[in-house]
Amino acid sequence: MLNPLVLKLEQRDRLSEVEKRVLENAISRVRVVEADEDIVHEGERPSESSLLLDGFAARYKIFSSGRRQITAIHVPGDFVDLHSFLLKTLDHGVLALTPCRVAVVPHAALERITDEHPHLARLLWLTTLIDGAIHREWLTAMGRLSATAHLAHFICELFLRLQTVGRTDGDTFQLPLTQAELGDTLGLSTVHVNRVLQELRKEGLIRWQGDSLTILDRGRLEKVGEFTPTYLSLQNEHR
Amino acid sequence: MPVRSDPTITLQSISVLSDGGSHEGRLVLVGKDLVAVFAKVTAEEAEENAGSRRQTGGWFLEAGFGPCSILMTVSPSVFPTLDQALDWVRERLEAGVG
Repeated sequence: MLNPLVLKLEQRDRLSEVEKRVLENAISRVRVVEADEDIVHEGERPSESSLLLDGFAARYKIFSSGRRQITAIHVPGDFVDLHSFLLKTLDHGVLALTPCRVAVVPHAALERITDEHPHLARLLWLTTLIDGAIHREWLTAMGRLSATAHLAHFICELFLRLQTVGRTDGDTFQLPLTQAELGDTLGLSTVHVNRVLQELRKEGLIRWQGDSLTILDRGRLEKVGEFTPTYLSLQNEHR
Repeated sequence: MPVRSDPTITLQSISVLSDGGSHEGRLVLVGKDLVAVFAKVTAEEAEENAGSRRQTGGWFLEAGFGPCSILMTVSPSVFPTLDQALDWVRERLEAGVG
């Protein structure tokens, strides 16, 4: 099995064969989570962390009114709750947006990695730092970009994150999100999601048919979304 | 700011430009004050694209003012009928701006 986490880390630094083996061996089992089911519940105290192998997942919070905000979209290679290792109680839920295959890594195995493999520990730390950087980027995009620019930014980011783990085909990738889920992600009503999609289509920037999204003009899409990928730390260097 | 208990709500037809075309709309006034602008969104328009989740057409709050402003309330979902949209406006007026 080619672990997408290995791909994600190898994009950013060199991994030794030993480190790759340690990551593989840290997985205790693989489970399948159906779409619309929680991978981890809010308020839970997991004794293991979940690494997404296949599918799309979302971190989310729900308000008393039933309104939901998705605070992160996870793609294969993302450790959806690595932070539960140290934070203990999860302050948000993680939902499978599609059927997901999830590798389970016991916290005890993570503790051994931090004890015995400092470079690997730093790389896992890096993934949580990138998660934090993505949160900052989303916050600024949501607060200060137009809805159209925000969606453009989101598509640019997702494309690069999926490309890193080999889940793109040319300029096309699978984006199996409903309009409502996209609205919950961008903080927009479904009507507004619809309108900004129309706008990006009309401008000849994207094509979205079924679950398949194609970026037709990446340069212009990045310009519209004011997208600069620095925050994704994609360069390969010693860390 | 307290709002009188039995406000007179009146409607005015207005055409609203969105999605590159004219849409049937309503100005909602309380007394002489504008509190909301609704526009009709069609089922086809709302269903097209992005995912499979279907949404029916209805009346969408394009803009709200005073107690109907998004400063005071989260923007509501599409209302299936204009009556339901106006019920929401009444609820907001009763809730006041607080």
